[in-house]
Amino acid sequence: MALVLHSGSGNKNAFKALIAAEYTGVKVELTKNFEMGVSNKTPEFLKMNPLGKIPVLETPDGAVFESNAIARYVARLKDNNSLCGSSLIEYAHIEQWIDFSATEVDANIGRWLYPRLGFVPHVPVHEEHAIASLKRSLGALNTHLASNTYLVGHSVTLADIVMTCNLYFGFVRILTKSFTSEFPHVERYLWTMVNQPNFKKVIGEVKQAESVPPVQKKAAAPKEPKAKEVKKEAPKEAPKPKVEAPEEEEAPKPKPKNALDLLPPSKMILDEWKRLYSNTKTNFREIAIKGFWDMYDPEGYSLWFCNYKYNDENTVSFVTMNKVGGFLQRMDLCRKYAFGKMLVIGSTPPFKVKGLWLFRGQDIPKFVMDEVYDMELYEWTKAQKERVNAMIEDQEPFEGEELLDAKCFK
Amino acid sequence: MALVLHSGSGNKNAFKALIAAEYTGVKVELVKNFEMGVSNKTPEFLKMNPLGKIPVLETPDGAVFESNAIARYVARLKDNNSLCGSSLIEYGHIEQWIDFSATEVDANIARWLYPRLGFGGPHVPVLEEFAITSLKRSLGALNTHLAANTYLVGHSVTLADIVMTCNLYLGFVRILTKSFTSEFPHVERYLWTMAQKERVNAMIEDQEPFEGEELLDAKCFK
Repeated sequence: MALVLHSGSGNKNAFKALIAAEYTGVKVELTKNFEMGVSNKTPEFLKMNPLGKIPVLETPDGAVFESNAIARYVARLKDNNSLCGSSLIEYAHIEQWIDFSATEVDANIGRWLYPRLGFVPHVPVHEEHAIASLKRSLGALNTHLASNTYLVGHSVTLADIVMTCNLYFGFVRILTKSFTSEFPHVERYLWTMVNQPNFKKVIGEVKQAESVPPVQKKAAAPKEPKAKEVKKEAPKEAPKPKVEAPEEEEAPKPKPKNALDLLPPSKMILDEWKRLYSNTKTNFREIAIKGFWDMYDPEGYSLWFCNYKYNDENTVSFVTMNKVGGFLQRMDLCRKYAFGKMLVIGSTPPFKVKGLWLFRGQDIPKFVMDEVYDMELYEWTKAQKERVNAMIEDQEPFEGEELLDAKCFK
Repeated sequence: MALVLHSGSGNKNAFKALIAAEYTGVKVELVKNFEMGVSNKTPEFLKMNPLGKIPVLETPDGAVFESNAIARYVARLKDNNSLCGSSLIEYGHIEQWIDFSATEVDANIARWLYPRLGFGGPHVPVLEEFAITSLKRSLGALNTHLAANTYLVGHSVTLADIVMTCNLYLGFVRILTKSFTSEFPHVERYLWTMAQKERVNAMIEDQEPFEGEELLDAKCFK
């Protein structure tokens, strides 16, 4: 039973899977009666690809979209075939050229061609930029092909199938002979590939473009229908339970020494985590890390990243390590309420000091801030949903509003 | 002996390989003293990648470029790990989301961001609108998928999540404000889970190298 590929005919992205199927002996058929803009907007189609784009491959185990992913899937339906390389490094090089053909070849051809076809506004200086990028990419490809018949190894691989389909599209739509003559090895490669029987069967005759398509006088209305309005999810915020200190009925119970003892009980027991951490010697990620997230209670505890503010002082490694050691000693007063990891990083000075802390409660405990002077030597960032940005210490804190007003600078 | 990854620090494309290495227990270190625009223009570098772009991974069997290809290679250095899926269709889906994150997420974020930073072409308002519309469409599709899925594929982190998170993260820290992303709550939740949790994990287990750099010392307070 053949696999069904949803696409119109003559689509270079569909060719990739069809050619791969020729090599692996897998039966892949184009769906019948495909109507662009109609067939790919039905609810059934959108279940397969919420983006509504083609091609999409229907398999007994589910649908796959993205033409290169489909081609990879089809290639692997048959074990041990030559399309996928015969070693790990060959596999990596095949993937490398597949991605190169997408980001460097296809993307630049698209940026040059589609505005002229009216899908995107045509902007001359942008077109110049696309052409310059494309020349750079084809130049690199030309260099590689000067000493290689195929992209990887000594026979056709998936990399050649994908690259050829992307190049072929450029050749027939916009790359004239005078443009491509600057890249003779790319020309030789393209003509060799499209004349291979399995390629020719799918693509057919290939005639190179004689001229660059003219710019449409009136930009065609964008083909894609207005983006579906995303249903706004009502934010689900459980009201925070009012914190009430439980009534102490037994007189002998000592008065709580610490405000943190007055918090509502948490399902997380810090000592249990510490025990798990210390006792896990092997399979740390599967046992300790998984165990951490299983016990973690974001209502009763909070996670904080810290970053030493004066890393340029850290010029001698053992002095830096001692500094951190001292900090941990001074933290002793909150041992019941905290767990921390402090890392010293770098192969050359100045060394960076970064840390992770788990504190009882939603804030860094006040008594810790008051009594441990090291605390103010660090920048503290809570690890929470709204502060994803702040975790990446190499980035300046980013105020989205400012960038949107920023002027272009070089 | 660690594999050497040629890149500056803080590069989201380098992160993909570094995070994958963390999962597979492979040692990957950032090259020391990398100077953007200099180190990647030497004849030695251009032999590894004639395009002169980063990241590039040096392996005993040759160099690999293209960040997603490097990540795939690193992921497969260890057999039978959870990053690569456990069936052919899972593999197909992982590849599908990796490509989607490149063509739909990364490309559109770049088309919006880079002109504003002064590279990648001049800033043209009508093209920017187009990029934003495309990005919203893509994030909408992703949001739909993540409404019913914690991870992109299956029930644990795969290479698709690593690549998607790195591409999304660049957008989140450089140009996507809260008011923009609040339209895609499942994408927001997904990024928090992936990015933050992974950093927490890396610190608890003394990840080495830590985010590509040598770990000199790790102290635990408990």
